[in-house]
Amino acid sequence: MTIFDNLFKMTGFGAITPCTVVMWFIGFILLYLGIKKKYEPLLLVPIAFGLLLVNFPGVLPSGESMGVVTATDENGIMHKTLIEIAKEHGILNFLYYSLIKTGFLPPIIFMGVGAMTDFGPMLRNLRLAFFGAAAQIGIFTMIFAALFSGLFDMNEASALGIIGGADGPTAIYTTIILADHLLGPIAIAAYSYMALVPVVIPMVVKLLMSKKELKINMREMDKKYPKKREIKNIHTVKILFPIILALIIAILVPSALPLVGMLLFGNLLKEIGESTSRLSTTASGPLMNIATIFLGLCVGATMTAEAFFDLKTIGIIVGGFFAFAISIAGGIISVKVYNLFAEKKINPLIGATGLSAVPMASRVANEIAFPE
Amino acid sequence: MDPNISTALELLAIGMLTVFTILTFVVLIGNGIIIFVNKAFPEDKRAKKILHKVLHLENAKEKFSNKKLAAIVSAVDIFTGGKGKVVEIKKIKK
Repeated sequence: MTIFDNLFKMTGFGAITPCTVVMWFIGFILLYLGIKKKYEPLLLVPIAFGLLLVNFPGVLPSGESMGVVTATDENGIMHKTLIEIAKEHGILNFLYYSLIKTGFLPPIIFMGVGAMTDFGPMLRNLRLAFFGAAAQIGIFTMIFAALFSGLFDMNEASALGIIGGADGPTAIYTTIILADHLLGPIAIAAYSYMALVPVVIPMVVKLLMSKKELKINMREMDKKYPKKREIKNIHTVKILFPIILALIIAILVPSALPLVGMLLFGNLLKEIGESTSRLSTTASGPLMNIATIFLGLCVGATMTAEAFFDLKTIGIIVGGFFAFAISIAGGIISVKVYNLFAEKKINPLIGATGLSAVPMASRVANEIAFPE
Repeated sequence: MDPNISTALELLAIGMLTVFTILTFVVLIGNGIIIFVNKAFPEDKRAKKILHKVLHLENAKEKFSNKKLAAIVSAVDIFTGGKGKVVEIKKIKK
């Protein structure tokens, strides 16, 4: 009997609870969405697998799971060396505290995004950038809503609101600084809604736009009201733009520089061309992929049953959706207001692309405008 | 007023103001760079190089428009890091 008892203790059966099973179920749903439905598979698959890994009980010698341990004064994890963290709390805590908690991975991902971004279309239509600002209104609306709910404090409400910006790395970066204990649900909500852009944008567009507005053809508008200035040498403009913009941002909003600076650096590498092509290929390819793997796994590793089964998590899932939808609506409404006063009309769908969910938001808007 | 709400109002004002200020700078800087480049470096050497390559594609000119040729040559140029050369373009029958 003792042998069987010892054998049973060796396995993880004794530590399985109903909550663990629910977490596996959530993990499987995320895996299904990533693999079968292809919703952001590059992120959802690592996040889902990370979630499963930390909800397999009794993995560490101490009997604990591999889940990310929230830093408190009692566990003193912030004062431990990385070797101690790896030894006592496992490899996922080591990765989390070295790569995520330090804020290392989001800027690396931004560099890769920069190396894949073409500022050309924006430079040709610079005033369109303003509609991106209106698309940030979901962030602030959700901060108010979260505070009124009484569930969240100021920092938590701000971290939740960032989901409305529809940008994964920014949501993660901000949450690490403001409310790192909510990182798992916020990252999952942000990436899930980004993956659901093809569903959310048409829904908001249907609510807010008329058929007449949908038919506004911007090429025809460009012909009717030609641009005052053409760009003679777009290559040089694209090289100068990230350099000068980085300087201005460094002076005006230095706190944004770790993310925006890396984005612009990645973009500069791309725009220089042949001489830095090896660097831009690395930034947008292998380095980005490595960062994505670790980011996904670490975010998943924060999704322990204790962290997930909380009223705040439900608040984040619901609030995140509204933050997202309000941001889209904000962009569309701002274009509609502009059209009231301008002769050269803009298709309000442009406002829906003010979300940072690139390139999906633009692709979806294009598909709505040109269904065939 | 609840201090959290007043902080949120403050955040809203500062946040939206910052976003609009930065975007105004983006527009101004963008326009400034375009004006400067149009005056100082009006010639796009890369575009000229592509145009030169397109003009030398004698055999493909009749079958494809100049826009399509430029797109193909540019794609090859970017993919090969400027080392590739388009010699012939053929339509593949499925």
